[in-house]
Amino acid sequence: MREALVSLVTALADDELIIGHRHSEWTGFAPHIEEDVAFSSIAQDEIGHAAAYYSLIAEATGASPDRMALGRQPDDYRHAVLCERPNGDWSYSLVRHWLYDTADDVRLEALQESADAGLAALAVKMRREERYHLLHANAWIKRVAEGPIEGRTRLIDALGKCYPEALALFDSLELEDSIVDNDLLPCSSSELRARFAQRATSELDDFGLPADIHRDLDNSAEFLASSSGDLIASEQEALTTSSRSGIGGRAGKHSDDFKPLWDEMTSTHRLHPDAHW
Amino acid sequence: MSYEQKLEEFNLRVESGGKVEASDWMPDDYRRGVLKFIEMHANSEIMGALPERECLPKAPTLKRKMSLAAKIQDEIGHAQLLYRVAEDLGKSRTAMYEDLLAGKSKFHNVFHYPVHHWGDVAVIGWLIDGAALVTQAALLDSSYAPYTRVLKRICSEEQLHLRHGEHITLQLASGTDYQREMFQDALNRWWLPIIHFFGPRSNVAKDLLLRWKVKTRTNEDLRQEFLDRYVPKVTELGFSFPTPVPRPEGDAWMVADEDIDWAPLDAIKKNRGPETERRLGLRRAVYNSHRWVREALSEPAVHAA
Amino acid sequence: MEVYEIFRRSGHKSPFEHCGAVIAPDPEMALLLGKECFLRRREGEHLWAVRRSDIHALEDESVLEIAADKSYRFASDYRDVVQKRKAARHRVSSISSGAPA
Repeated sequence: MREALVSLVTALADDELIIGHRHSEWTGFAPHIEEDVAFSSIAQDEIGHAAAYYSLIAEATGASPDRMALGRQPDDYRHAVLCERPNGDWSYSLVRHWLYDTADDVRLEALQESADAGLAALAVKMRREERYHLLHANAWIKRVAEGPIEGRTRLIDALGKCYPEALALFDSLELEDSIVDNDLLPCSSSELRARFAQRATSELDDFGLPADIHRDLDNSAEFLASSSGDLIASEQEALTTSSRSGIGGRAGKHSDDFKPLWDEMTSTHRLHPDAHW
Repeated sequence: MSYEQKLEEFNLRVESGGKVEASDWMPDDYRRGVLKFIEMHANSEIMGALPERECLPKAPTLKRKMSLAAKIQDEIGHAQLLYRVAEDLGKSRTAMYEDLLAGKSKFHNVFHYPVHHWGDVAVIGWLIDGAALVTQAALLDSSYAPYTRVLKRICSEEQLHLRHGEHITLQLASGTDYQREMFQDALNRWWLPIIHFFGPRSNVAKDLLLRWKVKTRTNEDLRQEFLDRYVPKVTELGFSFPTPVPRPEGDAWMVADEDIDWAPLDAIKKNRGPETERRLGLRRAVYNSHRWVREALSEPAVHAA
Repeated sequence: MEVYEIFRRSGHKSPFEHCGAVIAPDPEMALLLGKECFLRRREGEHLWAVRRSDIHALEDESVLEIAADKSYRFASDYRDVVQKRKAARHRVSSISSGAPA
């Protein structure tokens, strides 16, 4: 039960830490000064949530939140690959922000009913704080989706890259059966994935963004290539290939993007793991 | 009233401590001078974010990761406040930003230098923010009122940054030998740029900004205040200064003019500092590749669902 | 994009106060951006954004000067209430002692 809790919460914490880290890399460069300020708060929130999650399991892991965040080896991290991708263009970061925070809302909603009282209480608190993230993401997606064609195109391209990896946020966790049996998660990851897919699909429709994007990756590569989404088919294929080649954040198998991130993020801490900073 | 009469009235009012608002009549030289001054301040805040954001990914604890992010966020916020004030003097934010990218306008010297490690975060957060606070506190008396109003908020946030920087410094100072060396190494590299930050001796006779009380104190006066306040604090922590080494004279700490090498500052004035081109280049690249965002924000909806 | 002036209110005792401005494409964004620019330390529980172009200023502010003597609008005009109370008490005591007004 304890190991199951640690497995679940580590994945949640790592997601928040890594995406918060990526969001914070926009600081100083966001394409609108007021947005730079706003997005930094979102980054800080995610990192704060990571800290809260690590604290929740500190006793069980025997490791401080800092040790968990900055003291593990790359293979020990359990975040989804989506989180470690570089920021790229603002359109990629926006789409990832929207998909991630929508997915987070779906899972926090479920976690509010967790059998672990501490986790449930934390989920309630976080969900409240994340409301701003959703308001923010929705406002931006709406504006860009309804705006000039170049922005829309970039958004659609980004959705093509991001959406399959967003679905992978709900890949089975380590000790998934135990997590579900103990009601730590009130329903399975695949059930959450279905809820997320349905919600994302419907909301993207409301934004007037093409329904092609959110094909389930379970469909064959041939289907993807032959559909009207030709522009993005090749990218989808590349991703299907990479998932086939064994990238799976929930199992600690990260992409080439993670090692440089990890190197930089943990560099000062690793100099002196026991020092006070 | 003729221009000369208005000018005379303006001079009298301002020289005896009167304040100027955005909607008041002001001589063109005053407007240009204040605008350029505030624009440079705004530029410095937005460029100042860059050295620190280079250290942000490497923050050694979760708490420092968040607090440093918040500190840099404040600096961007300061830029936002200052550009807004400058805009009301008659230059658009777009024009100001593009002049910065093109190297036509300037930003403070300290932000042209590289950062190496967490020791730099301590020096920047404590001593450089300390220097900025000395100059900014003096500007609270500026004749241009809209500037003083945003400076109130800026100064109170800088006070917090100073405390944060000192907190980080003290942690290093009471840490391992290696941590103490980090601070000393950073101090060795940043000390001369900090001295340069205050600028050379003010030319009181020719300085219009001093005459019109946009600035209220001379450069050397502000530098002296900084030295007297911070040198003892650094010394008591057991750290040493590189050239120009401050020496005690009664209660004051003096830096000899002949010990100051002004050449690096001269290069920076021509936008030829060690990191100037790289950092401006980064900004330019992001700006140029994100025109689509500016268009999406500016143009009305064309494609409602 | 336009300038939106941002106002915040905190608690129940004070009215909305002006705290600065953001450049934003619409009111919704102005509020979202205004929140982080001006309320990230929870300096208020209520937030307004107003297009600068909707704010009107008095052209000739000399009109705000008080022309005629309107001292009756200020408490200082009633400072002699102390002497008046003394005189009234004196009058009351002279009534009870039967002395004329």
